Amino acid sequence: MRKIHFKIKRFDGNKEWYQDYQLAYEKGKTILWALTSIREQFDPTLVFTSACRHAICGSCGVKVNGSSYLACKTSLDEVLDTFKTDYLTFEPMGSFEVIKDLAVAWEPKMEKMEKVKPWLIPSVEGDVEGGFIQSEEDFHHIASPTDCILCGICASECNQLAVNDGTYLDPFILNRAYRFAVDSRDGSPEEHIRPVIENELWKCMHCMQCATSCPKGIPLTEQVAFLRQESIRMGEVNNQGAKHAFAFVNDVRTKGRLNETMLPIKTDGLFKTATTKVPFALRMIKKGKINPFHMPKAVEGIKGVQEIYKYAEEVENR
Amino acid sequence: MLKYDVVIVGAGGAGMMSALYASKDPNLSVAVLSKIFPTRSHTGAAQGGINAAMGYRDATDSIEKHFRDTVKGSDFLADQDAVEFFTTHMPELISELDYMGVPFSRDENGRVAQRPFGGASSPRTCYSADKTGHVILHALYEQCLKNKVNFHNDWYLLSLSVDKGKFQGLVAMDIRTGEIHAIQAKSVVIATGGFGRVYWSRTTNAINMTGDGTAACFDVGIPIKDPEFVQFHPTGLASTGVLLSEACRGEGGYLINKDGERFMARYAPEKMELGPRDLVSRSIETEIKEGRGFGDGMGSYVLMDLRHLGKEKIMERLPQVRELAMDFEGVDLITDPVPIRPSCHYMMGGIHVSDYKTCATPIEGIHAAGECCAVSIHGANRLGGNSVADVVLFGKYAGLGARDTAKKRSFTDAKKLQQDAENWVKKFKKMREKKTGINMFEIRDKMAETMWYNVGIFRTEKEMQKACDTIEVLLEQFKEAYIGDSSEKYNMAFINYVEIGNLLKLAKAVAMGAINRKESRGSHSRGDYPTRDDEKFLKHTLIHNEGKKYRLEYSPVTITKYQPEERKY
Ligand SMILES: Cc1cc2nc3c(=O)[nH]c(=O)nc-3n(C[C@H](O)[C@H](O)[C@H](O)COP(=O)(O)OP(=O)(O)OC[C@H]3O[C@@H](n4cnc5c(N)ncnc54)[C@H](O)[C@@H]3O)c2cc1C
Ligand code: FES
Repeated sequence: MRKIHFKIKRFDGNKEWYQDYQLAYEKGKTILWALTSIREQFDPTLVFTSACRHAICGSCGVKVNGSSYLACKTSLDEVLDTFKTDYLTFEPMGSFEVIKDLAVAWEPKMEKMEKVKPWLIPSVEGDVEGGFIQSEEDFHHIASPTDCILCGICASECNQLAVNDGTYLDPFILNRAYRFAVDSRDGSPEEHIRPVIENELWKCMHCMQCATSCPKGIPLTEQVAFLRQESIRMGEVNNQGAKHAFAFVNDVRTKGRLNETMLPIKTDGLFKTATTKVPFALRMIKKGKINPFHMPKAVEGIKGVQEIYKYAEEVENR
Repeated sequence: MLKYDVVIVGAGGAGMMSALYASKDPNLSVAVLSKIFPTRSHTGAAQGGINAAMGYRDATDSIEKHFRDTVKGSDFLADQDAVEFFTTHMPELISELDYMGVPFSRDENGRVAQRPFGGASSPRTCYSADKTGHVILHALYEQCLKNKVNFHNDWYLLSLSVDKGKFQGLVAMDIRTGEIHAIQAKSVVIATGGFGRVYWSRTTNAINMTGDGTAACFDVGIPIKDPEFVQFHPTGLASTGVLLSEACRGEGGYLINKDGERFMARYAPEKMELGPRDLVSRSIETEIKEGRGFGDGMGSYVLMDLRHLGKEKIMERLPQVRELAMDFEGVDLITDPVPIRPSCHYMMGGIHVSDYKTCATPIEGIHAAGECCAVSIHGANRLGGNSVADVVLFGKYAGLGARDTAKKRSFTDAKKLQQDAENWVKKFKKMREKKTGINMFEIRDKMAETMWYNVGIFRTEKEMQKACDTIEVLLEQFKEAYIGDSSEKYNMAFINYVEIGNLLKLAKAVAMGAINRKESRGSHSRGDYPTRDDEKFLKHTLIHNEGKKYRLEYSPVTITKYQPEERKY
């Protein structure tokens, strides 16, 4: 009989260990079925969280062989197939404080979320007695971001959060800020966006992990791009991220390619570059990754590139 | 000892709405306890929508029509003064939710969109795509954050303390630390949701819908009203009970038995699969009972076939349903029929609320709102879209009611409260130290099985008696139950143990209410008494907990406008 081998990370508040369990393979089951079966058949001390069983309450995020999944929605066959193995390791989600075994604490995250004022700041167009008029199109702007079930999988997979000191906002928090910033009923979008800017908005690395693992398919990275654009529109142009973006845009506009040597100077200024980036640059030069004497010429199709820019600007201004 | 003016137990739609309203008075200290993180509450599972006679989609709709539909839907067992209050205040509540930021779908004029729903004579169900409960739950949570509501997450209500009819406070466990707290309070709102889990493996309910608050009220002398009325949804997924939307039948899905027959031809030759929920549920169970289903025992099912609709229609009209079937039953509706079976969906009965305007119960200081209680606006059968509405509307009035009670009352002495807390500490210790006994999950599964087979969709005296007997046995076995976890912190096995105890208590009340109601009304359908009997049973069941014995009495239904008539659709 085929057996599936589970290694589950345990934590009792003091010590951590991995514990092994086995279940007979059954077709068409979910990760949550495995957890529940282990708990009810072998070990009632195992703690994990779940409630709705159909991907709407957001309680059952868990890491399997290093990747985060919603346990109730993910089929066991799918992960066995993805990892090509009958050995699975379950761990709590990353970037969360673990309470016990696979259960994590949400309160610190909610405290952080409060920074973006995650509630509607009603515009003067509406009132309690009559509500609002909102066009179908305006509703569509908030339809997808309000799919968020706060499962935390985006945060668990986020590469910036993994290295960040805790300032950077979790993708689901950026989503909340975005959701209110684009809601036609909100009277103060900037109140949701400004805290985002103040909390390292530009540190998103665009690794896309959040967007690709979101069980609700929310386009989280597009929202980051939107929030950045808005921040520039709000006049927040004197920060590293915005300057980097401008340098990037200008390079490509004039030359059709990036000038890697000049990019950090335009972003951070000469002094900061000299003190912080030079050692890094020297290593890059040594490994042959950049040539400091190479000032790139415009690419052949530069006219076309500039046409694209013109078109993009037209669209923007419409 | 902790001390609050108002404590709210539960952070679903009803609990959070209560919290927002109770905490509008800055002079009162208010705390909310929830055994799970607020946005995990089951209100989030509601897909279809929330009813209010806005008259946006159909200008001829009115509060009066909503009133009449609800009374008729209830098979005339709803209290009509409460229903009228409910339908009158719903439209303003939708605007209030809109103002709180609920992202409602919109019509072409930018107003809240409305859709038709079963049992409604006009399209009045407001919605947000197919995630209405989810967005309402999140908007309420956002408002609670804004208003700095004091949440105690992962806190579990163990019991209420009442001495000589006076409410003193409640005992709760901080699950994370394992500490048991006595909490003194002037008033409390119980908003702990339904108890569909008495049918454990065949329910659309979340695993934590165990009726803790209903059982706690029952234990301190508040009767349970109308527990025998249980709504079953015909199309639950066979293996998990997860709900597949009514839209499947609406779009033309076939129901097929083992012999490949569209068996609805036998029961509703004209309407076929489009018959009402209770009729379709009964038909499916008859097929299974008479050996024309697939599988066996608790694993029996029939098939729902949508293949003839074609890929395009399925993708366009039922994309979410297709995804659900794929994720939770491993079936692609485009290429295969999906195994389904009815699933327990909603509890019409619950804590006896004696004043609908304040959601007060017979014990001063204790209020209740949401699925845990019966106001009663749903009577013998709830209409789709009326529950989320019930939850937010009466949540609001329960919050206001508890606020006013707290202003009137002072803290009582806390001797009984402290005694109760000490008893729980002892019990927790004893259960942790116990090394052997009967597996509690087995007790739970036996309860679900007997409830499903004997107090399920079809009911007869003989079978229900079997259930009553089995539950007595299980209650005895429960005394020998063993939890298998000795830890103090986050001992979910102990929590499950208390939950199973609550379910058993409530299952017994469901069975007792059902066996004594010798008629068929709304969701309560008896083979041996197939018709409604207004003369004897146009009244509410009230079951009192008197220790091992329960006492049953009946109380009158409030009829203001609509005299009972035959319920025809
Ligand atoms: C799948 C599904 C779909 C549905 N669709 C619709 C629909 O379309 N329209 C409609 O009107 N209705 C619908 N319903 C019904 C409706 O969703 C529920 O009746 C309603 O949401 C219940 O809300 P509530 O606030 O009473 O309880 P819940 O939202 O269930 O909240 C209960 C709260 O109590 C807390 N709690 C419980 N026990 C304890 C304890 N011991 N200690 C501390 N806290 C505790 C929980 O943590 C939770 O916060 C649906 C139900 C289901 C199952
Ligand atoms: S259990 Fe609710 S999302 Fe998985």
